[in-house]
Amino acid sequence: MNITWYIVLSSLLFATGAVGILLRRSPMVILLCLELMLNAGNLALVAFSRMVGNEQGQVFAVIVMVIAACEVVVGLGLIVAIFRRRLPLNVDDLRELRG
Amino acid sequence: MINVLLWAPLAFGLVGLFLPRRAVGPWAVLGALVTLGVAVGMTIGFDSGDSGLQYVESTPWISGLGVDYSLALDGLNLFLVLLTAVLWTGGVAFAAFRDYERPKTFFFLMLVAETATLGSFLAQDLLLFVLFFDFMLVPFYFLFGAWGHDRTAEGGITASAATLKMIIYTLIGSLLMLVAAIATAIISADGGHITFSIQALQEQGIGLGSQRWIFWFFAAAFLVKMPAFLLHGWMPDAYRAAPLPALAVFSGVLAKVGAYGFLRIVLPLFPEATVEFQEIVLVIALASILYGSVMAFTQTNVRLIAGYSSVAQLGFITAGIFALRADGADGAVLQMVNHGLVVAPIFIIVAILLERTGTEDIREMGGMALRAPVLAALFLIVALATLAMPGSSNFIGEFYILNGLFQAKIVFAFIAITGVAMSAYYALRLYQGAMHNRKPEGLMSREIGWRDSVVLVPLVLCILALALYPQLILKRTNPSVEQTVAKVTGGSAPNSKLATKNEESGWTGYAPIGDK
Amino acid sequence: MTGTAWAWLVLLFPLLGSIVIALGYRALPQKAAGMIGTAAIGLSFACGIAALISLLGEDADARHHASSLWDYASVAGLDIKLGIYLDQLSIFMVLVVTGVSTLIHLYSYGYMQSDQGYHRFFSYLNFFVFSMLLLVLAGNFVLLIVGWAFVGFASYALISFWYRRETATRAGMKAFVINVVGDIGLVLAAFLIFRELGSFDYGTVFERAPEVFSVNEWSITAICLLLLVGAFAKSAQLPLHTWLPDAMEGPTPVSSLIHAATMVTAGVYLIARTHVLFALAPTAADISAFVGLATLLVAATIALVMTDLKRAIAYSTMSQIGYMVVGVSIGAYGAGMFHLMTHAFFKALLFMAAGSIIAAMANEQNIDRMGGFAKAMRFTSVTMLCGGLALAAFPLTSGFFSKDEILAYAGARGGMYLIFVVLGYFGAFLTAIYTFRLIFRVLQGEPCAEARELIETGHVAHEAPKNPATGEPEDTDVGFPGPEHHIAEQSAPMRVAMGVLAFLALVGGLVQVPGVDNVIANFLDPAFEGPVLSHVHPSIEWDWIGLAIGGVISLLGIWAAHWLYVANPERPRALEQRLQGLHDFLFHKWYFDEAIDLLVVRPALAIGRFANRTFERFVVDGMVTGTEETVRSAGGIVSRVQNGFVRSYALLLIAGFAGLALYFLLSSS
Repeated sequence: MNITWYIVLSSLLFATGAVGILLRRSPMVILLCLELMLNAGNLALVAFSRMVGNEQGQVFAVIVMVIAACEVVVGLGLIVAIFRRRLPLNVDDLRELRG
Repeated sequence: MINVLLWAPLAFGLVGLFLPRRAVGPWAVLGALVTLGVAVGMTIGFDSGDSGLQYVESTPWISGLGVDYSLALDGLNLFLVLLTAVLWTGGVAFAAFRDYERPKTFFFLMLVAETATLGSFLAQDLLLFVLFFDFMLVPFYFLFGAWGHDRTAEGGITASAATLKMIIYTLIGSLLMLVAAIATAIISADGGHITFSIQALQEQGIGLGSQRWIFWFFAAAFLVKMPAFLLHGWMPDAYRAAPLPALAVFSGVLAKVGAYGFLRIVLPLFPEATVEFQEIVLVIALASILYGSVMAFTQTNVRLIAGYSSVAQLGFITAGIFALRADGADGAVLQMVNHGLVVAPIFIIVAILLERTGTEDIREMGGMALRAPVLAALFLIVALATLAMPGSSNFIGEFYILNGLFQAKIVFAFIAITGVAMSAYYALRLYQGAMHNRKPEGLMSREIGWRDSVVLVPLVLCILALALYPQLILKRTNPSVEQTVAKVTGGSAPNSKLATKNEESGWTGYAPIGDK
Repeated sequence: MTGTAWAWLVLLFPLLGSIVIALGYRALPQKAAGMIGTAAIGLSFACGIAALISLLGEDADARHHASSLWDYASVAGLDIKLGIYLDQLSIFMVLVVTGVSTLIHLYSYGYMQSDQGYHRFFSYLNFFVFSMLLLVLAGNFVLLIVGWAFVGFASYALISFWYRRETATRAGMKAFVINVVGDIGLVLAAFLIFRELGSFDYGTVFERAPEVFSVNEWSITAICLLLLVGAFAKSAQLPLHTWLPDAMEGPTPVSSLIHAATMVTAGVYLIARTHVLFALAPTAADISAFVGLATLLVAATIALVMTDLKRAIAYSTMSQIGYMVVGVSIGAYGAGMFHLMTHAFFKALLFMAAGSIIAAMANEQNIDRMGGFAKAMRFTSVTMLCGGLALAAFPLTSGFFSKDEILAYAGARGGMYLIFVVLGYFGAFLTAIYTFRLIFRVLQGEPCAEARELIETGHVAHEAPKNPATGEPEDTDVGFPGPEHHIAEQSAPMRVAMGVLAFLALVGGLVQVPGVDNVIANFLDPAFEGPVLSHVHPSIEWDWIGLAIGGVISLLGIWAAHWLYVANPERPRALEQRLQGLHDFLFHKWYFDEAIDLLVVRPALAIGRFANRTFERFVVDGMVTGTEETVRSAGGIVSRVQNGFVRSYALLLIAGFAGLALYFLLSSS
């Protein structure tokens, strides 16, 4: 089966997400873009699984979703904590961890 | 018995952690005395004609790597072990008579240090030696850093900074040594069974190409320890920061582990490289002698005078070893013991002077001999031994070293002997600065107390006893020393000119006299 | 008991004396300490006599024995035992040393009585005698070096005896360091001897040397030159002599014993002992003789202008030792040793008398302030005159016979050695002049204030003592003599000692009158059998001619001293002004001290300071700081990547990932 267009869509989504991470300043939006990249990956996995014919890719995609969920929990928790402390929700201003 | 010797201090130290504060000091002294007793017993039972290993203890430890837990005594380390036991007894007793903070930890660390040092002398397995060598440093890191003196008020650095400097210097050398040790075992095995046992490695041998870099890696570690010229940068700050009992044993014993390492490991395992690099190491040794002496006679801090004097003395010892003759090496081993016996009392006397004068600068001391004649007499004996006055055992050690150097490389001997003149000046200057001339205002001089006498007098008696009979040490160390030197020179034992008229003495020797 | 057993006892008693006094310094009363000290040396002398008797009972050829106690350091081919060697030369030295030392101990018993450091003094003095005896009895070169160094240490301890005096401690340090330089010479000589001959033992070395070396080979010459370095340092010959005048900082008995009679003669003993080696290196022996000659003349000229009484006598010692060195270097061993003995008598006596006078002067040592003691201190003056006559080689005194015998020997050798004869007599002339300059200045003329006080009240003047060199008040706690002074007239032990020495100074020469008896030479000569030189002997006629010339010169010198210093009181000052330059040059001791300071001391200290300030800071610390800086800046560069910007981290991630992906894509195609 020809999955070319799925892969193209997946890479477009991935690129959009990547550009969004690099250009947006709000942590919330960065998380959303991260999700976008993860799901792009998921799409590619499912498409390949369909092409190859076994279910390994789909299983992998489910695992990725689980990990994405965990990561979102942590990320949102961080954002809520930052908001509660009235710190600016701007990734450029949050830079205490530097060398 | 050798296991008891090695682990007794550690055992006593561990038990001491659970004792009440008052009891730790005496308990630690007891531990040191027990170790001393065992060491003396083993010395008496030592067979002086035997050049091989005695009291051997050997069990496989990490058999996959060929590492054995093997300890033994022979002529090379017998008196160094005894020296360790004696000096540690003195140092611990001296500390016990004074109040140190957190005494339990302090004495535990001192005793752990004793075990580690004994281990590096006794080890007959290369990796075990490296292990103990590095382990030696750990308790001193804490002792110097936590109980040391910050010298920031006098333009120096804090105790922790000084200790850090020392650790980094030593660890770089130790790292190189570890690499070299592993390389030795692997290259020497040549595809066969890997072993780290020094005896076995001697028999297997290594190719000259590998010997060259391995020699320098080991030399780096040992030269930093002594310390030798150019690698001594850690010494001034460390010596100024250290607490005096720990410094007494550190300067008295640990420096010698480096020299001992040359004799135990480098000469037998890398003989061709030793011969090849003999002159370079002699140049370093000579530079240490000259530089250390020159620095000592313009210093005004008593600790540093002793420190730079040690640099010079260890230079002599290195020169003795690298004369590659039995008499030079005999002198070096004797001098290792002598120097340890002399430098520990010096630091104890520094502590006594500090208590009376509140200063460590000799320009601010003076005229103490009047109210403290016994202290002055003991100090005089120690000072005379330091400058290797003929009649002392130090003189015999230096005589043997210089004789060996003279017969091997005559020019080096001529240069080295100026160190003797310089040592006379700085040792006497130290003594006079403290004991003679005018007493500065406000100085309270008083006689040495019984506590300090109990520590100092036995050490001085050892110095006097050896002065009368240095043969005591020479006789027992000579067989092993001759065996070690023979490995390097390939069997000929060059001693007197009459015995080997055609000995090649290199570009720095002079041509032998024609046949008579 | 065998001779060597007596010899061991000779060594034992002074050592025991020293230890007992030192350990019992708190318990023993002063008198006891003094008695133990003197008795120890007296016993030693008695044992020396016993050993001599034992030796005399043997054939002249068999009078040499070696004996050793235990192996000192015998491994790796070096075989060093604690061994002694007893022969005519060593027993001669033993007797001279112990004899004169006993008398000096007796003198000190009285002289040092009010010194707080009495016990320390006697302990050190006994230790010194032990060391000197060890030196002369040693049976191998290593033990010789040990004795040599012990003597140097004892000298240091006694020079800086009043250790709160800066001048004393500095003088002690100077003496010790120069002594160590001499030690180094000896040690190097020992190494060379071992290299060539394989042993340190006297017997073996002297036996093998003629077989192994041919005459004037460079190695034997080197050995002898190195031995000379040691000998010259100890015997205060040029250029290693600068310590001796400063050594006068010590108490007078010390100057008398160590720096006149015994220690400074150790160099002469060394040359005599190693005569076998010097016979094989005539060049070295000649160099030695010339150095002795030079010292003789230089020291005599300096003594002419010295104003410090003890220092003047010290330069006289230096000069006389020059004679002895010449003697043993040209082969006149018996004559050289004879002069050693007589010199010990009259020089020790001179110092004792000087001590008495200085005590009367309340420790003032400048002869310009002295005068007229002949009336004030009869006994001291008479003994001083005896010593002076012997020193000036007045006819029939001991100095007369001993000094001129050396010169007669030189004459008998002929050739180049006639220089020694001529200059030697010139030196004798100068000796007579400076000796009697001192005697006339101190004893004759108007009594000075202190002398007057003595005549009138019988008291010795005293005030708070000040160090003349630095002006600081003396610290009498440490024993610098306080208000009480002891002069011979008031102290019986001092009188006994000085009396015996005065007798010996006058009469001692009669044991070696040419043609009449030859006691010393007959006794000593078998020890020097063998080498060529011992077969040179001046004939008796030449001996007497030499003696006659010497006597005339001595009388001329005394007359010249009288003419210069006494006849016309203005003449000395006028002379001084006319010859101002020469006077300054001599007064500054030929600028040797300044030269050594410039050439040796200052460069050494400068190197030390350079090492301390520049090298240590920049090079060594620089290595450390340099490494530190490199690591730190490297770390700094890396840490700039950690800037805290999440977005830059993300960019790095994506760039890296893209790069990797590109790499794999391209490499797989």
